[in-house]
Amino acid sequence: MANRNQIPTSNSALIAMIADEDTVVGFLLAGVGNVDLRRKTNYLIVDSKTTVKQVEDAFKEFTTREDIAVILISQYVANMIRFLVDSYSKPVPAILEIPSKDHPYDPAHDSILSRVKYLFSAESVASGRR
Amino acid sequence: MEVADHKTQSLENGQAAEEEVDEIENDNVLQFMDSMDAYLTLVHSLSSTLRQGWLDLASARHSMGAYRLNTALLDHTSHPAATSLLVDEGKEPHFTLCKWRSSGNEKLLLGEEQSSHDKSHPQLRHRGATLLSEEKTSFENKASCEIDDQVQKERSKSLSVFGTLVSPKLRAAQLSFETALETLVEIANTRSEMLRAFDKVNQKSGGSKD
Repeated sequence: MANRNQIPTSNSALIAMIADEDTVVGFLLAGVGNVDLRRKTNYLIVDSKTTVKQVEDAFKEFTTREDIAVILISQYVANMIRFLVDSYSKPVPAILEIPSKDHPYDPAHDSILSRVKYLFSAESVASGRR
Repeated sequence: MEVADHKTQSLENGQAAEEEVDEIENDNVLQFMDSMDAYLTLVHSLSSTLRQGWLDLASARHSMGAYRLNTALLDHTSHPAATSLLVDEGKEPHFTLCKWRSSGNEKLLLGEEQSSHDKSHPQLRHRGATLLSEEKTSFENKASCEIDDQVQKERSKSLSVFGTLVSPKLRAAQLSFETALETLVEIANTRSEMLRAFDKVNQKSGGSKD
């Protein structure tokens, strides 16, 4: 009976976060935080002591969990594991790059926009006109 | 003569088919451009909302003290998320935000459905239609009040991690981040639309995928 609240409904999914302290605290205030029975959280707070390996492991864990639908990742953190983020192509969980306090959003680094930007290159326009 | 007419007709049909294909391609490109524009607009809006949230958090930290507002106080006991997503994985995934959902809210919603089912029971047909609609409205109002109360309780529970008495700026930060969550869900849906439109444009142009 005590575990009933731990079982999610059939379609509900979590929002995971890999971001700086203030961003994570803010979203936890909004009720996004989840801790399962194994004390695993759906967030990783990235600070000066967080290693790239820890960020990579968290990203890989969140992208393989079935109960996570969206992963929020600060763009400057995504830049630390850019190769991993850009090579990820599944629709769910969706990876959303968000700005952080000290690093504003840069569309040039967004992995989704990078994927589609080739459509606007001169070569692609010229080849379409042939 | 008949052969010439046939050739002219097939040429016209071919041209019409080409025009139709071009129109579809143009529609796909327009759809892609629209979704990309919406994506960038939403990201810009998200940046503003987050900035407000960070400012409110900084103000709350200033008034409450840094020791009262830090990650060491976070609840690491097992608990479910009060805010989650509903995912519809059709042709393109669609996300719906469920804010402050708890077992209480679900019970209230189930109760509402049960009541609307009961209203179709034959016994209630003896009452007038006006009386029925009044009863339904008052039930809905009562249910929405109860849900609002439950939502406020969940909000307070989330804030209580940082103490019983919290700065109004912390409450403001909570609302800002709730708004940011709504924007993020819109961004996720727009992202799916953009990728789908991009795939359509890619297929038609026969360009190489990334």
